[in-house]
Amino acid sequence: MEEKKHTGIYFYNPEGLSETVDFSEVATYVSNNSDISVVWNYNDISLSDHSKLVNKIKEKKLQRIIIAGNMPGMVKSFFTKAMVAAGNKPGDLFLASFREYGAIRHTDTERAKAIMACAIQGVSFDTGATTEETSLNPDTLVIGGGIAGIQASLEIADAGQKVYLVEKSGTIGGHMAMFDKTFPTLDCAACILTPKMVEIGQHPNIKLMTYCEVKGVSGTSGNYKVRILKKARRVNLATCIGCGSCSEKCPGIAESEFDAATSLRKAIYIPFPQAVPNKYLIDAESCTYVKNGKCGTCVKICPVPDCINLDEKDEEVDINVGNIIVATGFKIFDATRAEQFGYGKFPNVLTSLEFERLVNAAGPTGGNITFRSEDKKGRKIFKGDSDIPKSVAIIHCIGSRDENYNKYCSKVCCMYSLKLAHLVVEKIPDANVSEYFIDMRAFGKGYEEFYERIKHEGVHMIRGRTAKIEQSGKQLLLRSEDIIGGNLLEEKVDMVILAVGLEPREDSAKLADMLGIERTEDGWFMEANNASNPVNTFTGGVSIAGVCQGPKDIPDTVAQASAAASRVLQSIVKGKINKSIKDLSLSQIESKVKKLTLTEEKI
Amino acid sequence: MSQRVDPTLAREIEKFGKGTWNECFHCGNCTAVCPLTEQGFLFPRKGYRAIQMGLKDTIEKSVEPWLCYYCGDCSTTCPRNANPGETMMTLRRYLTSVYDWTGLAKKIYTSKLFEIAAIIVLALVVLVLYVSNTFYPSGEGSWIGDDGGVLINNIAPWKTIHIGDWAMAALLAFLLITNIFNMWMKIIIKDKSLKVPFYAYFTEIFSLAWNFFTQHKINKCDNSKTYWLLHLYLMLSYVVLFTMIVFFLEWFQTDTIHPVWHPQRLLGYIATIGLFTGIFYFINNRLKKSRENSKYSHYTDWTFLTLLFLTTLTGILLHFFRIYGMPVATYITYLIHLMVLVPMLMIEVPFSKWSHLAYRPFAIYFANVKKSALKRQGKL
Repeated sequence: MEEKKHTGIYFYNPEGLSETVDFSEVATYVSNNSDISVVWNYNDISLSDHSKLVNKIKEKKLQRIIIAGNMPGMVKSFFTKAMVAAGNKPGDLFLASFREYGAIRHTDTERAKAIMACAIQGVSFDTGATTEETSLNPDTLVIGGGIAGIQASLEIADAGQKVYLVEKSGTIGGHMAMFDKTFPTLDCAACILTPKMVEIGQHPNIKLMTYCEVKGVSGTSGNYKVRILKKARRVNLATCIGCGSCSEKCPGIAESEFDAATSLRKAIYIPFPQAVPNKYLIDAESCTYVKNGKCGTCVKICPVPDCINLDEKDEEVDINVGNIIVATGFKIFDATRAEQFGYGKFPNVLTSLEFERLVNAAGPTGGNITFRSEDKKGRKIFKGDSDIPKSVAIIHCIGSRDENYNKYCSKVCCMYSLKLAHLVVEKIPDANVSEYFIDMRAFGKGYEEFYERIKHEGVHMIRGRTAKIEQSGKQLLLRSEDIIGGNLLEEKVDMVILAVGLEPREDSAKLADMLGIERTEDGWFMEANNASNPVNTFTGGVSIAGVCQGPKDIPDTVAQASAAASRVLQSIVKGKINKSIKDLSLSQIESKVKKLTLTEEKI
Repeated sequence: MSQRVDPTLAREIEKFGKGTWNECFHCGNCTAVCPLTEQGFLFPRKGYRAIQMGLKDTIEKSVEPWLCYYCGDCSTTCPRNANPGETMMTLRRYLTSVYDWTGLAKKIYTSKLFEIAAIIVLALVVLVLYVSNTFYPSGEGSWIGDDGGVLINNIAPWKTIHIGDWAMAALLAFLLITNIFNMWMKIIIKDKSLKVPFYAYFTEIFSLAWNFFTQHKINKCDNSKTYWLLHLYLMLSYVVLFTMIVFFLEWFQTDTIHPVWHPQRLLGYIATIGLFTGIFYFINNRLKKSRENSKYSHYTDWTFLTLLFLTTLTGILLHFFRIYGMPVATYITYLIHLMVLVPMLMIEVPFSKWSHLAYRPFAIYFANVKKSALKRQGKL
């Protein structure tokens, strides 16, 4: 047997991470290993002077160093230099990244130890921690009926496999259904989406479960039992003919979710005319009968006997599936949190989602861009016949790239802002439109060209974040620094659109717990490996697709959904699926890597 | 005008305080949120750019850091937690060292040890001078007057003290004036693109005095009323006491005990209260980190507050020991008072924190002069 190399371990753990594994526990774990000559903690090595490290390497006669921890690649070149100077080969360095393999929080310390066990044997975690295969149930559950869930469901169903598509709201379509156009082609979003929605509704292999939520998940990879809460719709899906007479007389009123609260809807409603299923439902919170026990107008009017049952109760059903695709999407950043922009205070400061509805021909104003007004009862809505703005400013990065809210870039805002600017110019040709941005991130195919095109349409591009918005008469006063021109800018505009960023949904932590999948610090679901395994998770049979994995635009979402579907189909075709990596115990992984290295040595 | 990049600049400035300029991604939020920045005098972001780029000349000739009153709005809203407010503070310290031709400001700001050593040396000089020129109240001689108070002029004759006062005041004035001359050179004269009309120096002179005595610009910052009032009270108290001691010591240091309402005592008490209130307010702020501008304390901030507190305390004790007829206590307290007061003035006024009493109003004055020049040149 070959003699063991003298190995040193350095734990790299730069400051600034809110959560980490228990480094001291991992250090104790590796120090017990007889193959390790020395363990250095983060502060043991000065990362500015490599000659000291060279001496340490020589002193301990090290032949190999494992840099472990969070983003160890950051110091690789420093260690390479020292290793070479000490007479070793540059290849004698091994990186063991904790975060890359899902060891993020204090509770993931066991995972970090397993990563170290693999690293000490000279293999990466995904090579070492392999799992056995098991048989599987060929049915698939897709959670979330947005474009990602729709795409994934169709891919699998079209391949002849059964799919349960569970959607929380009354219709599928998600955020994409709310958008007017897609960038950079300016295609009509509904024209792309609604045929797919209809296909879902009619597909023999898809069991569509709208107004349902995942309540609990049990079982293991390949054989999951999922409890689904069927919220009381109070309207019979099978018999409702969608005539709408119930809605006309309904006294209950609430803000329309689909119109991003720019319009009102009844308590018995259909989310939007192209909804799938195209059936009514009752929102218990605004229903007069549910609240007061008296009303029943809809029951009296409904032409179909026994179609509406106001006393219907929530139900729970269990389904058995082999694979689960999570495609739960996002929520938009709550702009009232960033007080300096006056959202909620000044009526003509809008979020981008509100503006999407406003500019949409099927929206509350029939596509007219108008000021926010009030109905007879003082509720804030948009009406098609109100005055139109002559100047519009779009402010980027609201709630994104900001340490006070979310550090990450939401990736889509620059491009949708350009699209919205175009739509303003298209609808109000003499309008003065300005975009206030920090950096213009036009990264995708055809995006830079789109940016140039919008510039040529006469939209003012101003590099400089607007710091605050104040009311000035009927207008809004913006204060910014024009960084390129070196000026202090004060601009008065009629309307401001806040390009709000994307955030994980409130219930994503609950769902992650149910499924046993990891989340990043920001709350997005975490993939098994960012570069090599981007749709699987460490839980066998659970894949993720769309924005719930991280902000992305529609093309990327659709691509990822197809990828997730392909992973699912792979297991169905094979008839077998790998067990969960997260179920492997530390000792199992240890013995696996030992075996692995023994076989190598035999060869 | 091209200028040479100094790659060591950022590391140099970092010695003067908190340095988080690498965080900045130039969104311009800080400038836009600042209530004091104006066209032609944009800050804080531009300062960040200059530090990141190593534009030493730009920093040295910039008047902008002095126009900042540190309300902290930029720091609280900064999307990168880059702390623009504290960077302006750091730049003020750096600029103090740039203006100071002796090089002592830099030493004091960058070495705790040097600052403490300087205080001790000056205190010892005071000790020697005091002991050799005053009279210890024992043995023969009259120490207590008819009204029961200590005959302080028999212990430390005001004429003797006055000589020391004047020597110190002359030295301070010399240092401040030469440093302000340097500042003027950097901000106005070296900027070749600037053509200052001579009359501007006269038309703007009023702003110098006005800003020195009112510090009203701070009121443009939100929630700064209490801060402004207490700071102003502290500063005016200091000016009153300094004036009485340096120019009217004969009137201020008397052997007779005046009634309480006598201007000599009344002014002294009001000023002492002003000093104490201000000192406690600022110490409390710094301990509790209650305001954005008290979150990060440099050691020189603490030495300044400590020395000022000790000076005020020994000053008022000296007064009470004198009126209650305690000659020995008077003698010793007077000594300690001077041993704290002299180092404080000699270190803080020309070289450290307290230099802002001159630099800030002069900066506003120079900025106004510059503004009128820019307007005349059609650049504003």
